[in-house]
Amino acid sequence: MARAKVEQQQPTTGMTLIVLVGLAVAFLLFMAFLNVIKSGNLLSETNLLFATLVFYSGAGALYLGFGVTGTQSYLKFASLATWLGLLANTAAIAHRWYESGHAPFSSVYEMLLSFVWTLAVLTLVAEKKYGVKVIGTVTMPVAIVGVVLMQLLRTEVHPLVPALQSTWLHVHVTLAMLAYAACALSFALAMMFLIQDNLKTETVLAVTSASTLAIYASVVLTRFEKWGGLSLVAWNPESKSEVFLSRGVRLFVTVPDLGWLVSLTLLVVASPLVFYGLARWKNNDSFLTLANRAVFLSILLQVMTLVMFIVRACDGRYPLLDADGLFPTTLAASPFILSGLVGGVFISLLYLLLLWRRPDLERSLPSADVLDRITYKTICLAFPLLTLMIASGAYWANQTWGSYWSWDPKETWAAITWLVYAGYLHMRITRGWRGRRAAYFAILGFAVVMFTFFGVTYLLPGLHAYA
Amino acid sequence: MAVDLRALGHKTWRTIASIQTGVVLLILVVILAAVGTVVLQRPATDPDEMQTAYSPHALRILDAVGLTDVFHAWWFLGLMLLVSLCIVAASVDRFPNSWRYFSRPYKYPDASFRRASHPQKSLAIADEESGLVAAQRALHSLGFKPERVVREDHFGIFAERHRISELAVYIVHASLLLIFFGTIVDGIWGWRGYLSLNEGQTSNAVEIREGTTRTLPFAIRCDAAGQENYQDGTPKKWWSKLAVVEDGRDVKKKEIVVNDPLLYSGVRFYQSSYGPNGKVDRFSLVATPSNGSGEKQEIGLALNDTVSLDADTTVRFAEFFPDFAVRDGQVYKKSNDLENPAAHLVVSSKKAGKEFDVWLPPLDEVADNSKAPYQFQATDLKMGHFTGLQVSHEPGQWGVWSGVVLIGIGLAFVFYVVHMRFWVVPVCDTKTGKYSLWIGGTANRNRDAFEQRFNHLVELVEKELKTVPKTSLSEQVVTVVGN
Repeated sequence: MARAKVEQQQPTTGMTLIVLVGLAVAFLLFMAFLNVIKSGNLLSETNLLFATLVFYSGAGALYLGFGVTGTQSYLKFASLATWLGLLANTAAIAHRWYESGHAPFSSVYEMLLSFVWTLAVLTLVAEKKYGVKVIGTVTMPVAIVGVVLMQLLRTEVHPLVPALQSTWLHVHVTLAMLAYAACALSFALAMMFLIQDNLKTETVLAVTSASTLAIYASVVLTRFEKWGGLSLVAWNPESKSEVFLSRGVRLFVTVPDLGWLVSLTLLVVASPLVFYGLARWKNNDSFLTLANRAVFLSILLQVMTLVMFIVRACDGRYPLLDADGLFPTTLAASPFILSGLVGGVFISLLYLLLLWRRPDLERSLPSADVLDRITYKTICLAFPLLTLMIASGAYWANQTWGSYWSWDPKETWAAITWLVYAGYLHMRITRGWRGRRAAYFAILGFAVVMFTFFGVTYLLPGLHAYA
Repeated sequence: MAVDLRALGHKTWRTIASIQTGVVLLILVVILAAVGTVVLQRPATDPDEMQTAYSPHALRILDAVGLTDVFHAWWFLGLMLLVSLCIVAASVDRFPNSWRYFSRPYKYPDASFRRASHPQKSLAIADEESGLVAAQRALHSLGFKPERVVREDHFGIFAERHRISELAVYIVHASLLLIFFGTIVDGIWGWRGYLSLNEGQTSNAVEIREGTTRTLPFAIRCDAAGQENYQDGTPKKWWSKLAVVEDGRDVKKKEIVVNDPLLYSGVRFYQSSYGPNGKVDRFSLVATPSNGSGEKQEIGLALNDTVSLDADTTVRFAEFFPDFAVRDGQVYKKSNDLENPAAHLVVSSKKAGKEFDVWLPPLDEVADNSKAPYQFQATDLKMGHFTGLQVSHEPGQWGVWSGVVLIGIGLAFVFYVVHMRFWVVPVCDTKTGKYSLWIGGTANRNRDAFEQRFNHLVELVEKELKTVPKTSLSEQVVTVVGN
């Protein structure tokens, strides 16, 4: 009965969402247009990036809508929005390339630009060629986070230092972006496989709550200060960079009271996991209902934390941690915390999507068998790309530093990524690993890729300081 | 006993060659490599930094275990050797099978193979020969070279493509070993060092690490070096004009920049740094006779140069301080930065048999410039620069690069070149006496795409069957002879 009701409602809700997203996109573009008229500069990179963000957001919303309801018309408009976003993204890349005179691969900002582009292209390919229609539900939010991060990172064109003036650099980074995007795609496909393979919704609950818990726990453990403050890296607005006391030692400011909010959210985020544990221990499913309610509550709190974090960290001067005086900070100074908070909301929302709309989701996805095969195929694409990426990087290093391999953390982690995927291929080809285990392996591989891409750059010291 | 030993050896071999061992070793390498990126590593990090990062006790333990230099520790090397051994063993273990598969293709499918084969299809045919001819034409049109298999009791058609794909994985493994081999050769016979040259200087002593130098059989001279900047002041380009000097002759000359090294007899010289060396390249002055009876003259001096100003008087550039201070009538060097330079000239007059000290800028508490027969005015000061060269000798890198090329080719074959086989056998049903054409095929990867291809073949055969006339003897004879 409820089912029939939902299906009856579909046409109306379908139009509503499309109209809403369309209106939102039009409104945002109109606002941007006003801005353009004021500044008189139509094709600036900021505008192009903004258009990219608007279109990708529209596409993401529509893909999510399609994922939830399975309405075909969403998909059409979602693809259209992705195409438009891709167009703006391409223009942004071309603009930057023209302005800087080198391919956009020399900083985290420029690489994100290329990464998002590749992701959008692969999404369209997967959708059109392989018929994996809901792939955008996962990849578009990732692309949106990428564009948001870009807005925060520095955007001026930096001239290339001598070490980076090499064709091999472009080859290396292009290959890296292609390989990483293929890995991202295989990750998304593996997740979808798990859904089609009847992975229990509770298990997803446990995993998603554990990951959000891990995010908040790491923020609280590393950044909570006495009297409920949250310490953030200080930012120098003139040089547009973090403030360093000495090499590798950053200056921190304390944002008062934000620590309490994050700790509270940590507690609420932990509660679904506790209820899940109770449900398993007592064998009582009523705890699962509680856990789901807790997830809902945790999303509200997470959104609140995110908003507060953005409002407080966006600008303003705060007391220094170790000295007297006030110092400003910005969002760009804490890209990790920001992406962690956004990621937490996103992960929890994905769980809710699964919880509420699982049957619809299962209907619109290809069969588990097909997903398993496509996951393998994308890894078959990613692995040679990874190999060539490492090889071209080694060749470049040999030209620049006189050594093809120096066990720099980035190199080491690239090798680790390669080994993980090599392990996957061996298990699959010689041991016949299919299904669940292969999917877990693909997910692990992407986690390592993410660490190599972001973690190593920000957490570990090394020669790849500019990338 | 001997039998036991053999059994033990066999068992060890099986363990080493097994995929489980390989995966366990891979996991170990991954864990240790990850540890090596988290713990600060010895040669790259200053000892001082290590001291502040870890407590003395922890540092002692880390040093003892080798975790402060994971990638050069003996156990890491040992592990890499084990991995190589594992790759060799696994390849040797599996190779004979693959080779047999490769060298003696399975051309005629027997009844049990036909039953289990997937995908397969049976088409009704009028007689054996028309079916085979149709299949042959269909395979031809798909670009295969079908082969008639004729044995005493059976016959059929076999066609295949890209058999080499079966051996591609060995190419990949062999190239990995080649890369390992190259790095080991470099680890044993290779070296890296640093050479700093002032403009015009020649040297053959490369500093390997603090205190040790290596003497090259030839020398390097830096003729010039420089830096170009972007408008915002960040460096755009560093360059050095280098010459290789062997037995007193210039044998090679090259202007190197970052990313474009000089290579001479296996040793590479990379541009690595550039900066002022605190020494004067050329000091330009205007000298005017003190008694006002002569012409002004312009002179240029390097340190310790002597120039004659007239028949009686010479001037020598005796001392230079990039950053000076005066105390108790003495001049001291404060630093090596070109902040506050001072030059000491010595003017000597033969007639008077006297030497006069001249300081620029004038330092009255040290010497009285006005006594000298000439007065000097500094017009230009050109400082000398050094160029820093990274020097390396990597005899094994050819192994590495050829391994890299080979691994690229191997992977392309592993993932994208599919070994496809088709068999066509006419079968006679013993009960009804009717003929049918059995078509089967396999591919070693990408099986779903292969199935589409297979279905396409079946369609083509069906089409050909309609056009092929009943057996024509002549065609049969030709094909048999052709094989």
